[in-house]
Amino acid sequence: MSEVIVITSGKGGVGKTTTAANLGAGLAYLGKKVALVDTDIGLRNLDMALGLENRIVFDIVDVTSGNCRLRQALIKDKRLDGLHLLPAAQTKDKTAIGPEQMIKLCDDLRKEFEFIIIDCPAGIEQGFRNAIAGADKAIVITTPEVSAVRDADRIIGLLEAADLREPALIINRIRPKMVRQGDMMGIEDIIDILAVDLVGVIPEDEMIVITTNRGEPVVLDMNLRLGQSYRNIVQRILGEDVPLMNLDGEGFFRKIRKIFGMK
Amino acid sequence: MAASKDSNNGLFSNAEDLEGLVDENTILVQRTLRSGQTISYHGNVVILGDVNPGAEIAATGNVIVMGALRGVVHAGAGGDENAIVMAFKLQPTQLRISDHITRPPDNEIIKTDHPEMARIRDGVVTIEAFQTCIERQVKP
Repeated sequence: MSEVIVITSGKGGVGKTTTAANLGAGLAYLGKKVALVDTDIGLRNLDMALGLENRIVFDIVDVTSGNCRLRQALIKDKRLDGLHLLPAAQTKDKTAIGPEQMIKLCDDLRKEFEFIIIDCPAGIEQGFRNAIAGADKAIVITTPEVSAVRDADRIIGLLEAADLREPALIINRIRPKMVRQGDMMGIEDIIDILAVDLVGVIPEDEMIVITTNRGEPVVLDMNLRLGQSYRNIVQRILGEDVPLMNLDGEGFFRKIRKIFGMK
Repeated sequence: MAASKDSNNGLFSNAEDLEGLVDENTILVQRTLRSGQTISYHGNVVILGDVNPGAEIAATGNVIVMGALRGVVHAGAGGDENAIVMAFKLQPTQLRISDHITRPPDNEIIKTDHPEMARIRDGVVTIEAFQTCIERQVKP
């Protein structure tokens, strides 16, 4: 049984690629066979998040147009045995492949992998339609900004129209302090509008910039809270019931204050 | 023109007042309208779900939302001044009845926890708490 999961958001820059890289790496770390597919043709990024840029020979368009076999285009990750990347083409555009070709590609990947994670481009045009064509499940990413939530809502509507019902939601880059002060939308506010299942919350952390630039998925860093938040999502994807991480009780001074009952 | 909000000074509407508003042409929408989705209908529209920001409803008759109304709504789009808009949570981005266009006041968050109804009274769009006859009998 294999599962094709598309990671999408509508709005750009909310963390689709970073999340795809980390969930893929997290699943592979737990021994799963994972294929990451970058469908952002013309704006190839997922290879950089994994540090595999210099290994690309063939890409997704080469596979769908028959220039090479699927095996030849898949790049094996340098750290994890189970993780493979199918990179996007950089010199073509979104019209280079169509939804039927994506469905065929996903079916071919199903034969070899347990999880196929598709990194969707921003927008709702052909790139988006290609990315969702072969998917069984969708994960929608949003940040606690009104514009990102609005776009996520639009995307959920389009996913439902394409029969990808009940997408899961990841809220990225949340700042608990700002939420407490009432300056940022909280988890409840977002769920109230989108009315979908929450699969994880990722706190804002500058470490993500450093690790993504280095091409090292932060999910593999066992010491970071950020990595833990991704690992929790991975476990929920595997069907385990993991409670939401407490984002509040981390600060040293807050702990001290709590001891003295100052809240 | 801003919508006035009169839920506390005795200006209540009730179910009896609404007789005669009922048109035969009514569509029932059994889902939430999300951003970018629109319903345009010649008659009344009843939504079993929410109307999210970015969604739009245009109806020549009345609009009833059994959920939160956060998008743009236009009732009486053919010029019917008697059309009403009702929602469990009436928080529209913009509310239009006939050729009246209203929006919520800027920099003011209104929390609603009871059904409300918008209609034109004396040429002004007013928002009233909606009460059924039963509720009125219970309350003094």
